[in-house]
Amino acid sequence: MATEVVIPMLGVTIETGIIVEWLKKEGDQVKKGESLFVVEADKVVAEVESPASGLLAKILLPVGQKVPVLTVVAVITDPGESVPARYLSGAPAAAAAERMPSPVAAVPMTAPTALPAPGPVRAVPAARTLAREKGMDLSGIKGSGPAGVILHKDVAEAAAAPSVVVSHLARQASEKAGLPLGAIPGSGVRGRVMQADVARAAAEAAAPRLGKIIPMDRMRRIIARRMAESAFTAPHIHFFSDVGMDALLAFRGQILPEFETRLGLRPSVNDFLIKAAALAIRDYPLLNAIVKGEEIHILPEINVCLAVALPDGLITPAVSNADQCGLAEIVRLRADLVRRARAGALTVAELERGTFTISSLAQYDISHFTAILNPPQSAILSVGKTRDTIYLENGQVRSARMATLGLSVDHRIIDGTLAAEFLQTLKAYLEKPAFTFLHV
Amino acid sequence: MREITYSQALNEALRICMTEDERVVLLGEDIGCYGGIFQVTKDLQTEFGPDRVVDTPISEAGFVGASVGAALTGMRPVTEIMFIDFTTVCMDMIINQMAKMHYMFGGKGKVPMVLRVNIGAGRGTAAQHSQSFHSIFMHVPGLCVAAPSTPYDAKGLLIEAVKNDNPVIFVEHKRLYNTRGMVPEESYRIPFGRAEVKRTGKDVTVFATHALVLSALEAAEEAARDGIDVEVIDPRTLAPLDKDTLIASVKKTGRLLVADEDNKTCGVAAEVSAIVAEDAIEYLKAPILRNCSPDTPVPFSPPLEKSFMFGKDRLLESVRRLMAYA
Amino acid sequence: MKLSKEKLLSFYRTMQTIRLFENRISDLYARGTVPGLAHLYIGEEAVAAGVCGALRPDDFITSTHRGHGHVIAKGADLKPMMAELFGRRTGYCKGKGGSMHIADMNMGILGANGIAGGGLPIAVGAGWSAKWRGTDQVAACFFGDGASNNGTFHESLNLASLHKLPVIFVCENNKYGISVCQLKHQPIIDIATRATSYDMPGSVLDGNDVLEVYEAVVKAVRRARTGEGPTLLEFKTYRWRGHHEGDPNQGERYRTKEEITQWMEKCPIQRLAAKLVTKKIASRQALDAIDREITTAIDAAVEFATQSEFPALEEMYEDVYASEDMAK
Ligand SMILES: Cc1ncc(C[n+]2csc(CCOP(=O)(O)OP(=O)(O)O)c2C)c(N)n1
Ligand SMILES: [Mg+2]
Repeated sequence: MATEVVIPMLGVTIETGIIVEWLKKEGDQVKKGESLFVVEADKVVAEVESPASGLLAKILLPVGQKVPVLTVVAVITDPGESVPARYLSGAPAAAAAERMPSPVAAVPMTAPTALPAPGPVRAVPAARTLAREKGMDLSGIKGSGPAGVILHKDVAEAAAAPSVVVSHLARQASEKAGLPLGAIPGSGVRGRVMQADVARAAAEAAAPRLGKIIPMDRMRRIIARRMAESAFTAPHIHFFSDVGMDALLAFRGQILPEFETRLGLRPSVNDFLIKAAALAIRDYPLLNAIVKGEEIHILPEINVCLAVALPDGLITPAVSNADQCGLAEIVRLRADLVRRARAGALTVAELERGTFTISSLAQYDISHFTAILNPPQSAILSVGKTRDTIYLENGQVRSARMATLGLSVDHRIIDGTLAAEFLQTLKAYLEKPAFTFLHV
Repeated sequence: MREITYSQALNEALRICMTEDERVVLLGEDIGCYGGIFQVTKDLQTEFGPDRVVDTPISEAGFVGASVGAALTGMRPVTEIMFIDFTTVCMDMIINQMAKMHYMFGGKGKVPMVLRVNIGAGRGTAAQHSQSFHSIFMHVPGLCVAAPSTPYDAKGLLIEAVKNDNPVIFVEHKRLYNTRGMVPEESYRIPFGRAEVKRTGKDVTVFATHALVLSALEAAEEAARDGIDVEVIDPRTLAPLDKDTLIASVKKTGRLLVADEDNKTCGVAAEVSAIVAEDAIEYLKAPILRNCSPDTPVPFSPPLEKSFMFGKDRLLESVRRLMAYA
Repeated sequence: MKLSKEKLLSFYRTMQTIRLFENRISDLYARGTVPGLAHLYIGEEAVAAGVCGALRPDDFITSTHRGHGHVIAKGADLKPMMAELFGRRTGYCKGKGGSMHIADMNMGILGANGIAGGGLPIAVGAGWSAKWRGTDQVAACFFGDGASNNGTFHESLNLASLHKLPVIFVCENNKYGISVCQLKHQPIIDIATRATSYDMPGSVLDGNDVLEVYEAVVKAVRRARTGEGPTLLEFKTYRWRGHHEGDPNQGERYRTKEEITQWMEKCPIQRLAAKLVTKKIASRQALDAIDREITTAIDAAVEFATQSEFPALEEMYEDVYASEDMAK
């Protein structure tokens, strides 16, 4: 029986995807579990595996076209089976309605934008030959033939015109950065534009300047949309509490040598925060809920996200089941997530499965701040700098190290008292580290 | 040199061969007193007698097979099949016997015979008397396939076919029989595998067979008025095929139109296109175009048959399409 | 054999229809209205009329390039026939086949055929099919003296006899295959003698006597229907016209005027007419009335064909495959 291949549900909030590369071609034999194509959705790029073994008989969606998740993008057939006629029209088909699993799918989806597939450069062979001889790149040449095909004469004319000499890598880099090559001064032989020149130009272009207009890139657009959506749909209320950090820092100091020598791990304050928050959530499950229409869904797993700043934005990978993990496990998971976040190698699931977020600016001189919820989550913890404070105890001036924790919640489902109790509990967990982190 | 028709040129070639070489005999239906359905063997029976110009029964498998046997044992039969359509009833003799023997017997034994056939629609004779499936023979290793387009070529190629030691399918064309051209009186041979550039040009190569060579030349004249310089190549034999002349021309012009009357699918034109795609694709300035018959049987009804066929106008249209890639 | 008046008159009507139809074709061909090739049957009408007169509507025939007579005798309608000869879309083959390929599956006409000897194996198949399907249909197969030299003749007789198939092999020996007279294309005079080689009955009969034809075929049909196997019947006859319309002077390159005149004196239609009149089965006037009716029908057929349209150009691509989804 023919098996449909769809753009999978990539997480609760992802609605659309773009195939950036097909790893198999029509007519290839594929095995169940082999990677079929690479999909880009919101902030991630993911390889999608084949749902069945057989012949990749028909590819319905070319690269570069944005379509709703669950769109059928290919058909895999059994030996001897022919492609069912309904797929032969060539258009990617919406998956059968009964196959859409969650209410999310019922949310109106952005219609697929009918971007024409970019496709390869169309040029007659003689034009290719001439371009090769002249060391020219066809992608920069405008075709004047039928349907825009590049003719021999187009290449000849382009060759005759004084033009920018560009290295192959530089051209790729410039296309990626969206920089017109003509404007980039070349540092190579005979003024050839090199990759480094493009990088320099790109850096200059990126630097904000007064009066400059910067088009939002993809990631920024997503962040903008999500933050605005969160701010305008979830009424935020904010709570602050000062947490004594001496005990926790002392505790960390005590276990650090063992962790380093025995486990090769280095727990950070954030790791303690993740664990403590997860434990507090266990006590107050509503903090682990999301709003879906008229329902409150308390999610089954406690997956704590840590906001990681990248040069061009912020992403929030999640340590899953953090309440059940020992500290060492949390350290290991967190370190791996952060490393891969910086390398751009996170999976969609890792980005989308979070249920609670911690955002820390402790390394800056920021005492406290409010945060916007990471949709569809209902609570976010903000962490300010740990500072020395003095206080009076029995008339005596004492010093202590303190950090101000902020909790922002979705007031639609979390009331002030609940938020306050949660924050108190968290504070208590952090101030009594020996008990809290006993479960190693 | 004087002007004679294509069928007279063929007749002359046969007369020369029969006079020079007593091993040459003619077999076929109605080739005697009737002179052959297209008058190619006219008067030859009177001249050489019914022993050497034999009216055969309607037994194609029999007399084609007999020609193979006779050729194998020292004769040089020139055998006529009335229409190419009827080669189907003796395909075993052609494909399994005539074509294979020399190879199959390890080079021992030759089959120096000629099988004359004709192709072409346009006479209202419908699906079983109008076909042009000469490409089938080009597909079979061991057969030579000649395809003359002019009286001059017809005579020279037929003499070569008779003297050649290989089995030859000699493909004539119904619409050419009455065309006229200058032909020398004496004997001459046109070697197989040498295409002729029937017109030189630099913009488009039109590789045309048979009657379409004439159409291509007319189209070229008309295109010239628009400043399009068309080169017309006539392969003259389809097997062996003169790839060098073809490739050289395509390298020069970068544009190729192949015109052949067989059905489009798997025909001469497909093969020629593939050769160019393999050996000279980097010179192409435009897609390769084919003008062939549609993939349908030949219809009887005059308007349908007319639209089945094509000539100068269709070729000219294709030449212009190619020049859109100027 | 005692035949009813109706039966006798039906022979007259059939033969005269063929004759008048073909006379008209000859005329229309000369004016260019009928394109292509027209192989006329004039002079041989008794064979078709006698053979088909002994068949049932559900029996089969296979025909030849010279097939107008066969299909008219088997019941073909003159209008679509004429339209086909004109190349019109209302023709039996939607204008795709023309004179040499008239077919009507409803009438058991499995097609005229451009290939000499092509019809014999097909008739064998139709007979075999009747046997497999358990019907008592028979298949009659027309072919010429020339075609009897095609290998298919021998293969077909052997197969049909081996399997006792209900086939009647109808050889129309008109002495010529195009220009080649029988003496020059086979060493025998009586093709029917070949029946012996295949262990089936064979008879030589006068193909210009419709009653003799009919009687022989009735016997062969009875044998076929009862499962006893095939019969080879050879009918000596003669075509009056050239091999096809346009054959110079009705074939003067290979036969004499005298020969033609001699055979014209044995006209099968005149022979039957004379018999009908002398035996007082029909008067001359009655026969003339039949002729007039036929002429009216032919006029109507010509009118029908003339008024019919040629096929539209895109119809060329239709019917290449039996199901449209095979076509590209
Ligand atoms: C296989 C084949 N070979 C040759 C021909 C050309 N041809 C058409 S009719 C004909 C003569 C047929 O003679 P015969 O069978 O006696 O029929 P007649 O024309 O006398 O009715 C020939 C040779 C053909 N149609 N088919
Ligand atoms: Mg005959």
